[in-house]
Amino acid sequence: MKIDLEKVAQLARLKIEPEKREMFERQLQSIVEMVEKLPQMEEAYVGVDPAHPMQLREDTVRPSLRREAILANAPQTQAGCVVVPKTVE
Amino acid sequence: MKMEFEPVIGLEVHAELSTETKIYCGCKNEFGGEVNSHCCEICTGMPGTLPTLNSRVVDYAIKMGHALHCKINNVCKQDRKNYFYPDLPKAYQISQADIPLCEHGYVDVLLDESCHSKRIGVTRIHIEEDAGKLLHDESFLGSLIDFNRCGVPLIEIVSEPDMRSSEEAKAYLETIKGILGYLDISDCKMQEGSIRCDVNVSLRPKGSEKFGNRCEMKNVNSFSGAQRAIEYEIKRQSEILGKGGTVSQETRRWDDAKGQSFPMRSKENADDYRYFPEPDLGTIVVSPEHVEELRAQIPELPGEKLQRYVKKCGLAYFDANLLCENVEKYTFFERVIEIGGCSLQAAANWLNGDVTRLLGERMTTLFATCLTPEKLIGMLRLIEGGQISNTAGKTVIEEIMFTEKTAEEVVKEKELMQINDTGALEKTVREVIEKNGKVVADYRGGKSNALGFLVGQCMRASGGKANPAAVREILLKQLG
Repeated sequence: MKIDLEKVAQLARLKIEPEKREMFERQLQSIVEMVEKLPQMEEAYVGVDPAHPMQLREDTVRPSLRREAILANAPQTQAGCVVVPKTVE
Repeated sequence: MKMEFEPVIGLEVHAELSTETKIYCGCKNEFGGEVNSHCCEICTGMPGTLPTLNSRVVDYAIKMGHALHCKINNVCKQDRKNYFYPDLPKAYQISQADIPLCEHGYVDVLLDESCHSKRIGVTRIHIEEDAGKLLHDESFLGSLIDFNRCGVPLIEIVSEPDMRSSEEAKAYLETIKGILGYLDISDCKMQEGSIRCDVNVSLRPKGSEKFGNRCEMKNVNSFSGAQRAIEYEIKRQSEILGKGGTVSQETRRWDDAKGQSFPMRSKENADDYRYFPEPDLGTIVVSPEHVEELRAQIPELPGEKLQRYVKKCGLAYFDANLLCENVEKYTFFERVIEIGGCSLQAAANWLNGDVTRLLGERMTTLFATCLTPEKLIGMLRLIEGGQISNTAGKTVIEEIMFTEKTAEEVVKEKELMQINDTGALEKTVREVIEKNGKVVADYRGGKSNALGFLVGQCMRASGGKANPAAVREILLKQLG
């Protein structure tokens, strides 16, 4: 499989410096090649493991964090909200 | 010759579940709380936190699966859907990709008052988390984000492309909403966004089996909006096809205020979500016994109830529909059916008419009043037996709704017994004829609706106690 570095970077919102492009392409390509060498998974594998079910949580309310704590790491806040770049067109 | 096109419509409905807590953390699931007050490390996507799945979310989704005749995948998993948007702090949404909790179902949708129905396929129902809410303000350069809605549990119900008109789509949406309400698993408040839908529309030449290119419309916030969006899209696509053009397969944004849809920017259109199994959660396993327990909890659903009211109880569709929309009214009506002894249509008329009006006036609900099925039946029997008139009933109903008294007690106390005494009625009629010379002349001149007015006057003169049928007869006799 060939890696489309541009597309992968765009989907992951990564900025790739032009001079590092070739290096990343080479590194990613070798990772993909390694994965491709892994033995084929059985066809029966569907990503579930019924022998080890997960424990579900009771629907009981637990205290939330204080708002100041939630907002403490935000670069900019206003009116109790995190400020983000304008999204509406 | 102009080519005729057939619309092909599929719908994706997102319904917020009315659980106590969010899907992956114990924060309160509540609409309208102070901004960012129902948040924790988990639902705001802080690094190093782990989600735990709310068991009630799984139960509710399975119930909806049963109601829509789905196969329940009691062993399934969750997947990560990756995309960047400011309302999604983790930069991924936990959803379900290849193994939804429920799939391959259907729902029968009633299309008209004769209870003709159409079966719409349900492709799948899966569980996922809602995103936060972006707030925009003209006076401000950025947008604000409230994370309270992050992690609110959702089910997404995906239909087969089985609908062929906007009316069918609307009927389907109403049916889904009705079922969610009967199961009591969602608040179904459109204005609060607790149900939202995406609309898929394509057109094909009539008679063709092949699907045309489809457009998906996002941002449809109401059922009537969905209907408008579908009609707009049908018109837009048929104009393109009519000119020999091709509809491009794309995602469009519906602007309900403008009544138009617009293509979304190609970046938003990427649709490459790079799903992979959610590594922070294990396999969901629901025992077959529990799946059956949940099946046993499914009540009679609105469509079935409506048909039973129309076909078995003989109610008019309109009245049956009004009853089915209100849990207190249909619960009350069910008891009336059980006890019996009165006309069910009359009971429905009173419940949907005067009772509903009085509830509205006093801003209360049926079960908060003193009205019982027994008391209503008691009153209906007095009317049916001719002891009180329908007009007197209007006085009685208010009394029996808001006091402990029975209809018989009210009738006795207020002397509402219907006057069937011919002598007394003849006297009343004579007086009314004397007082209304002009109307009498009109009637004699051929205005037959003047009679109704005179009957009304006699009823009023008797304080609503006269028997209207007897009054009418005597009037006709005296008017010659």
